[in-house]
Amino acid sequence: MFGRRLRHPGGARMPVIVVTGFLGAGKTSLIRSLLESPQGAGTAIIVNELGEIGIDQALLRPGSDETILLGNGCLCCRMANDLRETCATLLRERAQGSVPPFERIIVETSGLAEPTPILQTFIAERALRDDFHLRGMVAVVDAASFESTLARFPECLRQVALADRIVVSKTDLIAPDALAHVLAKLHELNPAARAGVAVEGRIAPKFVLEFEPSPPRFAPAAGPRHPSGIETFALVLDAPVQWSGLSQALTTLIALRGPDLLRVKGLVNVQGCPGPVVLHLVQHLVHPPVELQAWPDADRRSRLVFIVRDMTASTVRNVIVAVQEAVSR
Amino acid sequence: MTFINDFPDQMRIWNFRLLAHHELNGFGSLGEGMSIQVARDGRRILWLAHWGAPKNFTGVDVSDPRKPQVIIQTELPQAQMRSNSLEVSGEIMAVAYQTDKRGEKPAGFDLFDIAAPERPRLISHFDASGAHSRGVHQLWFCDGCYVHMASGAPDYVPRNPRDDQCYRIIDVRNASKPVEVGRWWLPGTAEGDSEPAPERHPPELVGRMSGFRAHNTNVYPERPDRAYVGYIDAGMIILDIGDMSAPRMVSRWDNSPPFHGFTHTVLPLFKRNLLIVTDETTTQDGSDLPKLMWVLDGRDERNPVPIATLPAPSADALRLPGRRVGAHNIHENTPGPYTWKSDQVILGTFFNAGLRAFDISNPYQPKEIGYFVPPASPQSPTGFTSINDVLVDERQVVYSVDRERGGLFVLEMAF
Repeated sequence: MFGRRLRHPGGARMPVIVVTGFLGAGKTSLIRSLLESPQGAGTAIIVNELGEIGIDQALLRPGSDETILLGNGCLCCRMANDLRETCATLLRERAQGSVPPFERIIVETSGLAEPTPILQTFIAERALRDDFHLRGMVAVVDAASFESTLARFPECLRQVALADRIVVSKTDLIAPDALAHVLAKLHELNPAARAGVAVEGRIAPKFVLEFEPSPPRFAPAAGPRHPSGIETFALVLDAPVQWSGLSQALTTLIALRGPDLLRVKGLVNVQGCPGPVVLHLVQHLVHPPVELQAWPDADRRSRLVFIVRDMTASTVRNVIVAVQEAVSR
Repeated sequence: MTFINDFPDQMRIWNFRLLAHHELNGFGSLGEGMSIQVARDGRRILWLAHWGAPKNFTGVDVSDPRKPQVIIQTELPQAQMRSNSLEVSGEIMAVAYQTDKRGEKPAGFDLFDIAAPERPRLISHFDASGAHSRGVHQLWFCDGCYVHMASGAPDYVPRNPRDDQCYRIIDVRNASKPVEVGRWWLPGTAEGDSEPAPERHPPELVGRMSGFRAHNTNVYPERPDRAYVGYIDAGMIILDIGDMSAPRMVSRWDNSPPFHGFTHTVLPLFKRNLLIVTDETTTQDGSDLPKLMWVLDGRDERNPVPIATLPAPSADALRLPGRRVGAHNIHENTPGPYTWKSDQVILGTFFNAGLRAFDISNPYQPKEIGYFVPPASPQSPTGFTSINDVLVDERQVVYSVDRERGGLFVLEMAF
């Protein structure tokens, strides 16, 4: 139903890891530490040439004389075409041998980057989605300035809310109880993302480079909804679903509330498919579903993580159940 | 701006994971015979034919693919010969013997009882020696009944010495007394043929290894009345073996000239009506490139039509020192319960360019999806790695072997 069954959601496509984080959060230190680790070998890095920030090139170790300039600008707005071109060029040159045979790409966004367009670029653009797989989005957060940045810049909120992993940096600048407060706040904003604490800019490379095929189990955030209206919840469906029904339900949800479906990801137990089907959508754009060869664990229930704005879990569940029932009648 | 952090060593690996490497006790030059047995006690034994003397075959316990263990390694009876090919069916293993020179012995194949893997017991020897024969280069033995092989014979006299391997079918249902039941060769290549000798390819095109002779002789349970034969300089040939005593050519497709000959393997993908056909590169300097893996439309077996090639590897792309980067063996969906059957992904070996994987879900646009090129063994005579063959078991564990003393690599696919 979904083509060749894959071992991993990315199949053979080139994995891409997007690293976001606000200005000075420690993205470059994190990437430098990854490059210095054995696990970081074979990594191509794409960074913004944002003039006002200035990339400290001495911190990154260029391995090739070939460089591709993205030019000034922010990946999310003016640079989408450049990002697409850069990725395609990298892959072509890799095949030709004019750059080393890298096996993953890390995209470091500018601090002001709005992550949604970058997600959409990788999951939905035909030119990229066939060759590249968005393995995950990592948000780097400066523990000391997180709360003040969050209050002033909505981009910071989006970066955290849409992340798969959160790396908390500069923890040596704050007291342990303040760090606990930051971690609690991050969980409140994005309970589905795992948060890790970097020490002197370093964190276990696996935390950034490897992602499970299934969404992690998580406890819903306690307390009142964030003023932004952004909320994360999990939808669990016990019985295998009919694909046509789920597809129609998602189409309905997108038609009704597409802009508020900030990100939906997870594994679905589809009738007739022995393996789980990976679902990933960002607002109105849906990545073509892929079926995996095997479930990652004994749990065969469909598990979807919804990151939404001004919607409730019951609303989403009701739409999905109602449309599925209508389709199956 | 883009930065690339290169790999620190010579290992080139993409979308495979290396589970284990075994140098086979210093005798890590392997041929193109790989087969799996699951013994009565549950152990999974990988049998490997060596590329040349002094070793004959090696049995490796791969029950735990991360900890392969050699359980037996045998010697050839003399140094001017090799086994190169073997196949297991049940508890019987057939091992090919090819001599360096014509007229020498032992040339043919042995049948071993491997019920006790550590103690293979010789059941019988089939003699294929003769004045014009080097014996058996390759054999196929999957149904417990028949050995299909590329071989000379005592009574086979080729018009040209390079055409010394015909396709032979040997009935081994009585393993103690194998008996030939059928034979086929390209008309015009044997003395006494009424047909004219085929026009030979220019030597500068096909090199000194060329010849109109059989290489791989594959027969599958989906079509037991067909043999899919790589016939080196005659291209790929489909034979009707419904009457084994009189094989009959159904079709022949040859890419040379303008290509450089040496058709090696024909893999039919029955559910998809496709044929994968491989060349073999035979020069160290790359002068016979491109040597390719071809995708043919096989809807009408009488008229196979090439529709694509698997993307040819580039020594430059991987910054490889060796230039023997053309095609050779593939995972052949060997019949039996212990092999992976794939018609969406093709795994092939490309000598200096290692093991490579291709997605053929769109047969018109095959796509490379993985590769594995280990560093050359310090003992490699050429200084290069030379990945020779590949087999995938039903657990989807990948076994690949080096011809240049690198031994056995056990891998996992990551796509």
